[in-house]
Amino acid sequence: MKPVIALTKGRLEKQFLSFFASLGYDIDPLTEKGRKLRVETDEFAFIFAKGPDVTTYVQYGIADLGIVGGDILAEIQPDVYDLLPLPFGQCRMAVATEKGKSWSNQKKYIASKYTAITKAFFKDKGESVEIIKLEGSVELAPILGLADAIVDIVETGTTLKENGLVIDEEFMEFSARLIANRSSLKIKRKQLNPIIEKLQQKENE
Amino acid sequence: MFLPAGSQDQIGEKLNNQAHVNQMFRTVVQRRDYKAIETPVVEYAETFTNPHVGMDFSKLLKWFDREGEIEVLRPDWTTAIARALMKQHRSQLKWFYQGSIFRQDKNGIESRQAGIEIIRTDALLGEMESLFTAVDFLSTLSIDNYMIELGHTGIFEYLTTPLELDEKEEGLLRSAMHDKKKDVVYRLVLEKGHEEIAEQLVTLTQAFGGISVLDDYMEKWQDVHELKEIVCLLKKLFNALEELGDIDVTVDLGRVRQLPYYSGTMFRGYLTNSGEICFSGGRYDKLYKQFNQNISAVGLAFDVDQLAKIIEPQLEAKRLCIVASPNTHIKAEKMRRDYPECRVDIQYEVPQVGEYDQIINLANEVTG
Repeated sequence: MKPVIALTKGRLEKQFLSFFASLGYDIDPLTEKGRKLRVETDEFAFIFAKGPDVTTYVQYGIADLGIVGGDILAEIQPDVYDLLPLPFGQCRMAVATEKGKSWSNQKKYIASKYTAITKAFFKDKGESVEIIKLEGSVELAPILGLADAIVDIVETGTTLKENGLVIDEEFMEFSARLIANRSSLKIKRKQLNPIIEKLQQKENE
Repeated sequence: MFLPAGSQDQIGEKLNNQAHVNQMFRTVVQRRDYKAIETPVVEYAETFTNPHVGMDFSKLLKWFDREGEIEVLRPDWTTAIARALMKQHRSQLKWFYQGSIFRQDKNGIESRQAGIEIIRTDALLGEMESLFTAVDFLSTLSIDNYMIELGHTGIFEYLTTPLELDEKEEGLLRSAMHDKKKDVVYRLVLEKGHEEIAEQLVTLTQAFGGISVLDDYMEKWQDVHELKEIVCLLKKLFNALEELGDIDVTVDLGRVRQLPYYSGTMFRGYLTNSGEICFSGGRYDKLYKQFNQNISAVGLAFDVDQLAKIIEPQLEAKRLCIVASPNTHIKAEKMRRDYPECRVDIQYEVPQVGEYDQIINLANEVTG
């Protein structure tokens, strides 16, 4: 049975495929997949899912390996091997607020998709905040008065800027990472080691 | 009416298989001269969360009793048995248990275990006996697609001693090793100014596989007495298992303990088709330090749920229906004894064709 690799759909998928092609793998079946969520190449079976679901598929052994953002891993902390960083998908976690915002002495409302990271960050600072969970477009929250600030990933900062937000503080850096199912890594080590080593060699170059 | 998340009813074949696994386990361990022990389902949280044991409080099923003490549903057999054994006669060395543990994790709330505890025994003897019991039991269940993994807590402990880590730093490094997160392992150790140890630990995260891993490290650590001893021990166990039968054995020298009480060899059995862990255990002499006891202790626990999932369905006995009337019910009841191998049901109505394998009709018989 071919090793199964779970890929995060969207931006990371495109970056991974060009990285994968640079390692000499044939990616034609993957670029021509259309809307299919499961595609096989000569060597691997790929499944395409949202980042958090990639960790679930890997944790439960449906996929042997997964490509997922470090931000998702920090938020969910799945029970998987978190083998290595990959040279794409770089971003950082930041607190951002409206330009010129003056902080009141009241307890702050923070909107974020990353509630666990937000909680840990403010707990570490010794500051009590109310966290409001949003699923996306969190930049809207301060503009519409839902929250005083947001905690979100920032790549170029363009989205923040275009929505009138500025970074208050940056506190974590991430990249895409390679994860593995705990049992698969041991049981299928002969099948998985070559690809892991190839990904690692490229990372070290 | 709904069940809480993680709880589930057990019915039919699944229950039959669980009963079969438990019955076979009992047969195997009694044949190997183990004695049964059972601890209560309700205990104090402190038994499991004190620094010697260190279980994660958030995963326990807990409540306050009338005095304000926190009580829990038994989350771990080994710890509970250690507490109980402190009151037992010292001559008994080998114990077995069967029953549920309760924790909130990915497997739900309740999982059924069957396990062994061996105390006050020569270290190698106890470890061999644990592993051989695992092989004996899995063979009795006709399970042969499995792999046994060996590891040792002492490698990480030895290599990190010069780092003089505080509790938080040690926790972070242990967690990064557990996740085989090489970049973080390297960074954390480098921050302590030990590049050589950083490189050694990173290499260790990849030190898993067959006997060649042990051969490589035997050479690598030939001048480091403590580590060489550990590799020698793992090699003895590895070879013993291979010699015993055609068993797939592997080692992971980068494995770290997950509970503070593990202190030496660690073992784990993987079902190779599903990847599920069917047993785990190891040495935990440290657990008895909380009772000021310096004794050897080792054991392992089988996951009955996982084993029940993969064994062949147990053949059910032939179904026989005796059709009786109120007048012939006693005769029918006595007739049960003539069919000790069958599942015998008594009905007052003739059942549908095909419902039973055999039907005996006494309904119209006249009794004296």
